[in-house]
Amino acid sequence: MKRYRDIAGDGGSNIVGQVEAQLGKLRQRLASVGAVVAVVSGKGGVGKSTLAANLACCLALDGSRVGVLDADLNGPTQAKVLGVRGRRLVVTDEGVEPPRGALGVKVMSMDLLLAADATPLTWDAPVQDEAHTWRGTVEANAIREFLADTNWGTLDALVLDLPPGTDRLLTIASLVPTLGIVIVTIPSDVSHLVVRKSITVAAQTKSPVLGLVENMAGLFPGPDAAKLAADGGIPYLGSVPFDRELAVSADRGEPLVATAPERESARALQLIARAIRAALAPRAV
Amino acid sequence: MKFLCLDCDAPMKLHSTEGPDEGSLAVTFRCPECGFRVAMLTNPFETQMVRSLGVKVGGRAQEPAPFEHLRSMMANPRADAFEGEAGGETAAGPGCPFAAVVNDGAAAPPETVPWTSEAEARIERIPSFIRPMARRAIERFAADHGYATIDETVMNEARGAFGM
Ligand SMILES: Nc1ncnc2c1ncn2[C@@H]1O[C@H](COP(=O)(O)OP(=O)(O)OP(=O)(O)O)[C@@H](O)[C@H]1O
Ligand SMILES: [Mg+2]
Ligand SMILES: [Zn+2]
Repeated sequence: MKRYRDIAGDGGSNIVGQVEAQLGKLRQRLASVGAVVAVVSGKGGVGKSTLAANLACCLALDGSRVGVLDADLNGPTQAKVLGVRGRRLVVTDEGVEPPRGALGVKVMSMDLLLAADATPLTWDAPVQDEAHTWRGTVEANAIREFLADTNWGTLDALVLDLPPGTDRLLTIASLVPTLGIVIVTIPSDVSHLVVRKSITVAAQTKSPVLGLVENMAGLFPGPDAAKLAADGGIPYLGSVPFDRELAVSADRGEPLVATAPERESARALQLIARAIRAALAPRAV
Repeated sequence: MKFLCLDCDAPMKLHSTEGPDEGSLAVTFRCPECGFRVAMLTNPFETQMVRSLGVKVGGRAQEPAPFEHLRSMMANPRADAFEGEAGGETAAGPGCPFAAVVNDGAAAPPETVPWTSEAEARIERIPSFIRPMARRAIERFAADHGYATIDETVMNEARGAFGM
């Protein structure tokens, strides 16, 4: 009697072929994207989204073509921060057109697909009680589609804003092995405790870790971020001071680096963006 | 999953796919040598597993549309998210134009017969992953037999009829 591996193919569905086609489409889309950069942290609320939006704008100010993908499906904020909330999406033969936000940055976010402000993201399932069982796979596929089906065009950099934790990082690193990883912390022992683990997770991917950023510096006295980076064996990219204007401008949908580039926090962000650009240099942003 | 015809020791080939009907797909395989056919009937869990992967049993005739998986899976999409599609119920979700190319997705529930609270309590005791199928089967039974409500008597009758 024949065994499983004696039989070639799956009899006609070609599931393997379908998955390969999905990945082929992704590769093709990203072939015109110079660099993909993920902003991550094991800790929530440390400013990943704020940094992702502002760093994207810094790159745009320096003349790069930039996109931002909000990879936080359950707590999407990039449409708000970059000023494209409520825009309608246009589908063309090339894919779904990303609306252009501040400084012409192209944005794609789950926020643009959700029914109302209070609507959480829920996935269709035979039984809602069990929907969580499928969530990981469904969301990994959703991210793949956002990456592959959005018509990003030619970009120098695509910045990904990740949800808190490192699960999504692993998913994305498996889809985009050349991903550059930027890790964010704030100056507190509690944050360092968690981010230390995030550095380990990031280092275990095949993707290059571009470095650590300290955010909200000066808000409270705390441990040394440069030392955390050194201990983790990753570069230290710099520190962004706590600046309420950063929060205010994000709420207005106008990133601070675009509206007040001379502020101390904006200048700090520009320096970090240049450090990231330098780290990506071999891949020419 | 692969199917082998034991008599011929030959791998069976995909013959046809149907559904999903009440969360179940029917996938027929046929032996190219003797013509023997078997049908694989998936439960809603198995159907969902295939859906979650964004692949189609039976293969794909066309390229997937942009965001096809996402749009077919979202339980509460924004009706007017896409330019050129009218707002309202039909813009997305099961009624969305892309749903047609998704070879799965829960079928629209048939007109339902109301349940008494006792019957409701009883169906809640059925394991949740087969509950929707059981519920629809009983509703269909009640509708076919002209019952206006589903109470425990109707449930007992349905159980007898299905051999449940
Ligand atoms: N340097 C800063 N100075 C002042 N406020 C800041 C700074 N960085 C971020 N914020 C504010 O802190 C809040 C949290 O920031 P943000 O949403 O960017 O965090 P996050 O890490 O993306 O959160 P989550 O883990 O939920 O995704 C926001 O209101 C933001 O405007
Ligand atoms: Mg965030
Ligand atoms: Zn046979």
